[in-house]
Amino acid sequence: MIIASVRDLCLHLISSAFQRCHASEDLCRLSVILKRSPQSDPHSVLISVSDTGVGSCLEEFGGVKLRKEAFGAQIWGIADDEIYHYQFNLKENVSARRLTRLPSNPKNGLKFSGTEVCLSIIESIDVLVAEFTLFFQKILILKVPNVAIELVVEHGHDPGSRYVNVFLANECNPLSIPASNLERLKSGLEDYVLKHGNTLSTKCELCFSSWEHLKVGSGVACCTEGRKYSGSVMEAVIVISEISEVASTCPRTHGSKTEVLYFKDFSPCPIPQSSLKALTSIDWKSYGLSFGSVVVQGGFALVEWENLPPYVQIDIVLHHYHEQIPSGRLKTRRDQNLIKKAIRLALDDLKDNYAGVLLSAQALKIRSFAPDLAKTISSLILSSNDSEFRKECFSFLGLPSQGVGGEVVEDCIKERLITVVEMNDRDPQRSKEIPTFLFEDDHMQDSGSQDEEFEVEDAFSSMDVLKCNTV
Amino acid sequence: MEGKHSRWSSQPRPCDLLRKIRELTRAIVEDLSNGRSPEILIDRFRNYCTKPDSNCYCSSDLPILKETLTLRRESHLRRLDVLLRVLVIVQQLLQENRHGSKRDIYYMHPSVFSDQSIVDRAINDICILMQCSRHNLNVVSVGKGLVMGWLRFSEAGNMFDCINRPNTAFPVPIHVEEVKDIVSVAKYILVVEKESVFQRLANDQFCNTNHCIVITGGGYPDISTRRFLGLLVDTLHLPTYCLVDCDPYGFDILSTYRFGSMQLAYDAKFLRVPEILWLGGFLLDSEKYQLPQQCLLPLTAQDKRKTEAMLRRCYLQREVPEWRLELQLMLERGVKFELEALSVHELNFLSAVYIPSKIEGGVYI
Repeated sequence: MIIASVRDLCLHLISSAFQRCHASEDLCRLSVILKRSPQSDPHSVLISVSDTGVGSCLEEFGGVKLRKEAFGAQIWGIADDEIYHYQFNLKENVSARRLTRLPSNPKNGLKFSGTEVCLSIIESIDVLVAEFTLFFQKILILKVPNVAIELVVEHGHDPGSRYVNVFLANECNPLSIPASNLERLKSGLEDYVLKHGNTLSTKCELCFSSWEHLKVGSGVACCTEGRKYSGSVMEAVIVISEISEVASTCPRTHGSKTEVLYFKDFSPCPIPQSSLKALTSIDWKSYGLSFGSVVVQGGFALVEWENLPPYVQIDIVLHHYHEQIPSGRLKTRRDQNLIKKAIRLALDDLKDNYAGVLLSAQALKIRSFAPDLAKTISSLILSSNDSEFRKECFSFLGLPSQGVGGEVVEDCIKERLITVVEMNDRDPQRSKEIPTFLFEDDHMQDSGSQDEEFEVEDAFSSMDVLKCNTV
Repeated sequence: MEGKHSRWSSQPRPCDLLRKIRELTRAIVEDLSNGRSPEILIDRFRNYCTKPDSNCYCSSDLPILKETLTLRRESHLRRLDVLLRVLVIVQQLLQENRHGSKRDIYYMHPSVFSDQSIVDRAINDICILMQCSRHNLNVVSVGKGLVMGWLRFSEAGNMFDCINRPNTAFPVPIHVEEVKDIVSVAKYILVVEKESVFQRLANDQFCNTNHCIVITGGGYPDISTRRFLGLLVDTLHLPTYCLVDCDPYGFDILSTYRFGSMQLAYDAKFLRVPEILWLGGFLLDSEKYQLPQQCLLPLTAQDKRKTEAMLRRCYLQREVPEWRLELQLMLERGVKFELEALSVHELNFLSAVYIPSKIEGGVYI
């Protein structure tokens, strides 16, 4: 594995530790401790990444290849009856690198497992703390309940100089247990949005005075075809948040842009190029969204919309993982398709669960006819001199048979029209049916001859046929 | 009496139409109440096609397709909006047994209808949905047809005694279904394309010397004129001749009398007059009646396009191939003339020489 920077190496180690915790069914602890080196080397920082998870793998560390900096590291693996100690030098080439096994310590009959990686690097502690905090804020979105994370900074031997930050899932918006990965991801993204990217310890009361401000949709796409790729899962969660206007004073991270967070195998990671392509190729228009552009910033994608109303924010998280161990690398094309499918399902989920949300531009136009159409239909009912007919219509509409005003009938029909238009928009496949003319070839070829005719315009020239049946 | 049967049978009563309007409304309301998207099926008709093999069934008067109006497309919504607005007006007209013109309807929602043609299309859609003719909806157009000659009839109790003044123009009755007591001693019916020709014949006292009925729709004939002509043909069983300009528009007007128009194809069986014979003008009449060269005008590019398109109409080859030959000749020669050009010899040449000679000589097709 080639790692570009010390920062990436640290995040890789933390990510591995997190995955070992996730793999464990017991409660686990992940500790990241940063300690200033002794006076002799004031610029170097000692970093310890330790976890009580399972499944430590030596090769994971031995194969790490750094591009630039070089430094030493030590590994203490804890397993079985003894605690094993290893050491290798990252300055050496991967091929020449030797893992040196150091003397082991006995466990004295205790049953525990875990891994600790220590390394010494030259880097600013403040920079590292900011990086790690951001990483943990994101990892909380996964809402893995059995992992407690602590970030500790020790400036010296004085206990008062210790800085401790604890990251716990399931704090703000408790989940029922057991919850599926997707349920956790949904809840996690909700928390993330409510706490402005998990930068706050509780939800922002300024922006979100009630839970109803969030609309959440999710979709899962699985790759079931082909033995090689089966078990590949792509989960997408989309949160649409509407913040109250008083919140305009609250500093928000990305304004009206959408942060697309990407997780790979339970770890935040930079969004792959193929996923960006997938994002741009989604038919956002059919959900009433006008896709502007996408830029990658700090490993996550920022999508800019052209028509998002003020005070509306969209957040998207994608999680790609394997339910089984993959026997090969997922092809980019499949990856793209999975993303597109998962996002589409999430968008559809939002449409299904929240009336009037993500309506296509076409549906919005169609919906604008509802008041007029309702008025006309109500006129057809109310102006009929057949009282039985009127009663029958009222009964269909669930209205009392007498004493109903025209406006009530109108409103009732309007509501139903809007419901149907929104329903049709959720099932867009049928609207996309291509009109078929049985006699397309001779479709009013000499319609010019009718232009001057007195009676009517050319009845067929502007015809819009949705579907035609032969008779 | 086949014509009579096809043109005048099974006219729906207002109560039947009101029931159908209620059924349509009920179906829409029921669908909406059940969360279903209403669908309105509208048959689509045509009275001709342009298939080269003429292997069609355009003459069957059956619908060729069904269109479905739904709430899924903006264009459908616009059309539905207009259709239902017009339907409200029609329901009112039928309930109150009143009549309204297409123009009246247009002015009830001019901003929504935006154009008369939009209303006309909605009226056609309603006729198709209700399986009726426009007059059944109590919707009429301001008539522009004229009639004169050896004819007497009454319309809604009013007597039209053309025989008293056979060279005076009477308006063609709008409520043709209320025309009764038709009496005539005419020998034939002459349909002329243009009002100017009609007035020429009136001035020339044509009906004094020729015992006939002359009728004009003033260009493309409206529904009343065509229905009235059909009624006269069915009632009087007289030979019916048609005189049009020798140009593509004259031919198209002739075809409209004979076969009906595409726009009203759904009602063609009630509006066409298959008995009609083409009296002129034929292109060769210009030679036969020694029309000076300067009276022959070249066909414009638009004339040619229109002629070529009309030549492809299936009914010409199937039912009146000799008409088609005339039209083809016009295209080949690339010239046209107006009937008024015949006045080059003498002002009354049309009434004194041209028409009588053609009828007496049997020079019609």
